[in-house]
Amino acid sequence: MSSILEVRDIHTFIGQFHILEGVSVSVTTGGITVLLGRNGAGKTTTLRSIIGLTPPARGSIHFDGKPIQGRQSHNIAQLGIGYVPEHRAIFRSLSVRENLQLAERRSGDFARKADFIFDLFPDLKRLIELPGGNLSGGQQQMLAVARALVPENRLLLIDEPSEGLAPVIIEQLIAAIQRLSSQVSVLLVEQNFRVASKLAQSYVIIDEGHSVAAGAMADLVQDKALIQRYLGVA
Amino acid sequence: MQSLTPSSRGGWLRGYWLPALLLVFLILFPFIVGALTESSPFGVARGDRMVMRGESVRWQSVLIEVYILAILAMSYNLLFGFTGVISFGHALFFGTAGYVLGLLLEYTALETGVALALGVLAAIAVCGALGLLIGFVTLRLKGVYFAIFTLAVAEMFFIFFGRWQLTRAEDGFAITDLPVWLDPSQSRISFYYVALALAVLTFLFIRRLVNSPTGAVFKAIRENEDRAQSMGYNTLNYKLLSITIAGMLAGVAGILQVILNKKVGPELLGVSYTVDPLLMTIIGGIGTFSGPVIGASGLHFLDVFLRDAELVIAGITIDIANIWALLLGVIFILVVIVFPFGIIGTWQRRRATRKQRAVTTGHPPSA
Repeated sequence: MSSILEVRDIHTFIGQFHILEGVSVSVTTGGITVLLGRNGAGKTTTLRSIIGLTPPARGSIHFDGKPIQGRQSHNIAQLGIGYVPEHRAIFRSLSVRENLQLAERRSGDFARKADFIFDLFPDLKRLIELPGGNLSGGQQQMLAVARALVPENRLLLIDEPSEGLAPVIIEQLIAAIQRLSSQVSVLLVEQNFRVASKLAQSYVIIDEGHSVAAGAMADLVQDKALIQRYLGVA
Repeated sequence: MQSLTPSSRGGWLRGYWLPALLLVFLILFPFIVGALTESSPFGVARGDRMVMRGESVRWQSVLIEVYILAILAMSYNLLFGFTGVISFGHALFFGTAGYVLGLLLEYTALETGVALALGVLAAIAVCGALGLLIGFVTLRLKGVYFAIFTLAVAEMFFIFFGRWQLTRAEDGFAITDLPVWLDPSQSRISFYYVALALAVLTFLFIRRLVNSPTGAVFKAIRENEDRAQSMGYNTLNYKLLSITIAGMLAGVAGILQVILNKKVGPELLGVSYTVDPLLMTIIGGIGTFSGPVIGASGLHFLDVFLRDAELVIAGITIDIANIWALLLGVIFILVVIVFPFGIIGTWQRRRATRKQRAVTTGHPPSA
């Protein structure tokens, strides 16, 4: 299988702290790959390194076969990578519509994708004129994901979409991410192992800044020892 | 501003009746004051010249000052309120524009009209270029570092023009050469309308800009620059655009100030023309359209009414003029406590909460 994203042995520093000490991630085209690992393992920093917000000091990142490390983050995004940061990263003072329009890379993107987006997240259509900050947590998370669907992205980086959401909302999000993954490859960070195992076909485990294991999700689910060792869940 | 959004029922005038009424009032203002105080809005004729005497012309200058401060505050708000860039050097643009215009009017042999036109264009262009330059050098710095740098540049200009012999150092120089129609000491009423028109145009321009897709990016940067960048926006370019436009608009205010006072001096570059628009913006409402206008007029009217007043407490007479700065501080603290988002900002939030309740309870949104 070809991979749309190849991260090879990246090292990232934040200030004087050596956060990533050798992370390699491969995302196959047209599927969901999940980054697993404990709090502080370096999952978020891996996503931020890919999108260029915390550029890696060493290592290589190839998107679609072309090197992207060292570029500015707006240039990386324009290649077709959508980033959905953690904590419902919407623009609170902008309306739902403005949030979505802002994500356009070419004019008319939103109009082209509106049907698909409102089909995935029907709530957003009703709330379209409200300021993003007035939405509930689940609605904000849906808006954050929807925003990454507006332009023609070929890869989505989604950070902890289920964090702090009610189970029923999480189910909706899982369904939506499953559906959108038929159109775009996804690299997901997810602490909730049940959610991760439902969604992803492959996994990478990050521990203390190193990528320590990778493979097919179906194998990981069987490997209780590995799960216990790095994730502490059974 | 939400109150300016026309409602679908009742048409254009329904949503805009308040600003339209205000505008009509301001247009008629010199004549209304003239009628009330039995003074001529055109001043008093003495021989073949008009002398600017009487209540109407006096109040015209008070309002012209309000318009100038409003333009300056609106410009500051574009940068600070809508783009989230804190500058401590807005006086730099205000004063530099004044000096450029003054130098062209008084230090060149150009004909008055030509010098004025060139001076206005050059002043605005220089302010835009200064904004671009300062932004280019420093906007990579975040927050407080950028603010400190702008303060340093503004103070540098203040000190330079305060010592430059050509422009008479601390004394500054007078503007003697103005076309009669614009000269506030010969026909103040026409200058009144020029200032009013420029304030209205600035308001409309900023509203248009902020409501455009470019304005949405400004607001996105204000909220979270990383996020805007990771969506594919080169945020530096947008911040440069914002500071360039803000610089040019502050330059417009500086030009008007110089024409009104017919004087150019280093006080135009002083820190008060940075602090005042900042206070006016915060008091009126950061990131709202009418907030800076409300803040500018509120503070300036307080200044005009209270500056000469005397307060008698327990037999002790206190000149307000002496405690004006103290009073301003108290007002500022009170406003921040009572209106945490400024007068307009707090009011808008209350409205939005009510609207939100209507949406979540199932009623269709009204707009």
